[in-house]
Amino acid sequence: MQLVTLKLVTVVGEAIIMDDIAERGMKLGASGHTMTEVMGHGSRSARNVATAGGAKTIKLEFVVSERVAHDIMAFVAEQYLEHYAIIAWLSDVSVMRGEEYVRE
Amino acid sequence: MNLPSSMDFPLLAESLGNLAVLASSGDQSSRILSSLTKNLLTPIPLCFLLGIFCKVIHGGIKIPKELYYSIAIFLLMSIGFVGGHELAHEYHEHGVSTIWKPALATLVLGCITPITAYIILRYLGGLSIADSAGIAAHYGSTSAVTYAVANSFVEQAQHPANSFMPTLVTILEVPGIAIALVLGAALSARQRALQSSGTGRPARESKLGEALYEVMTGQSIMLMAGLLVIGFISTLFMDPKGFQPFYDFFQSKGMLFRGALCIFLLEMGLVAGEKLGDLLKVGPFLVAFGIIVPLLHGFLGVWLGHMAGLNLGGCTVLGAIVSSASYIAAPPAVRLTLPEANPTLSITAALAITFPFNIAFGIPIYFEMAKWVGAQ
Repeated sequence: MQLVTLKLVTVVGEAIIMDDIAERGMKLGASGHTMTEVMGHGSRSARNVATAGGAKTIKLEFVVSERVAHDIMAFVAEQYLEHYAIIAWLSDVSVMRGEEYVRE
Repeated sequence: MNLPSSMDFPLLAESLGNLAVLASSGDQSSRILSSLTKNLLTPIPLCFLLGIFCKVIHGGIKIPKELYYSIAIFLLMSIGFVGGHELAHEYHEHGVSTIWKPALATLVLGCITPITAYIILRYLGGLSIADSAGIAAHYGSTSAVTYAVANSFVEQAQHPANSFMPTLVTILEVPGIAIALVLGAALSARQRALQSSGTGRPARESKLGEALYEVMTGQSIMLMAGLLVIGFISTLFMDPKGFQPFYDFFQSKGMLFRGALCIFLLEMGLVAGEKLGDLLKVGPFLVAFGIIVPLLHGFLGVWLGHMAGLNLGGCTVLGAIVSSASYIAAPPAVRLTLPEANPTLSITAALAITFPFNIAFGIPIYFEMAKWVGAQ
């Protein structure tokens, strides 16, 4: 079994902006993404009040090439880091059938 | 049915005359007091208070989220459907002659209230452009639950509102948010441009169009306006016998509606109780704003409603919906368009100050105001 080393981009934050980030991630070259509703608390949680019926926090993940990963991180930093309750990180992952997730 | 009287000066003089009497009359104040107690000691505000009390003492009431959503859907559909049915009758009997003036008055109110709120917040309160516009968007729009409670109040007081009030609720929902957001986005973009000229930072993408689209296609508008159209069309074109079961379900002599409203208000009380701690954070100005501005907007609503020919119940309900602040449609729109605005301020003002104030005291006060201006 061959594993390919790729980047896992994880963005956790206010539900209200996650669709936009997912959509932009796909445009920047991701071949897919996963969203999960999660619970937690952070220093900016008080800002996350905007969805009807209470706050929702979403974890959004992409498995992508390093270049796409950096593009997604740059987009998140420029558009959302300043004012929203959001955190994003990169990690190395070894992926089965990984070549399918690189569209370059 | 009170047909619209012309917006003439004698009526204006009469209204102002009645208003002048109110300040000096001891009878009036005891009447207001009894009206307030009568309102407070009914199940709907009491359920709300129970919710707050439960949160304060860390009690165990928990309303499942899905039930809350289901009830919200039922309430919105019921308001829309019954409203559409009544509108069809009104249209059948009088055409648009009784509706156009109240509709125009509501539109005017929807455009004025975000601006008065913005001016007060920005220039009296000294809040930032984004915070002022964000809160103004909440106060320019309306709260469907406040409508439901106000409507139940006037029905219980034996002064049912004009049949087309749900139409006015849908008219009031969007313009206030739109005006405040456009104002806020334009002014803060100008301010940012002035501050960051030469810093080379990339501009933030504007989400104004997306936010407005979401407001207009959000659940409350889609359900209320959609069912209003459905109720209207089916009343006009359906055999009354076939129509009756639908009407019985949604209207149910007010039983289902009021019971569901009690459960909804209990949940609202739990949410408001959670926000009580934030009252200390937002400071005395915003607490005063959350009470005084609704009274001002409420009076404008009552007065213009009377000028436009609404009956006593109609003026009260219009006052209540104009004074109320949106906490469902406005917050996401503001968050997308004016992310630098602090959501704690607007949500606390709308949900922990104005909403409880209106439910407990505002609605009976608008009822008395409507009497003062001479509505019948």
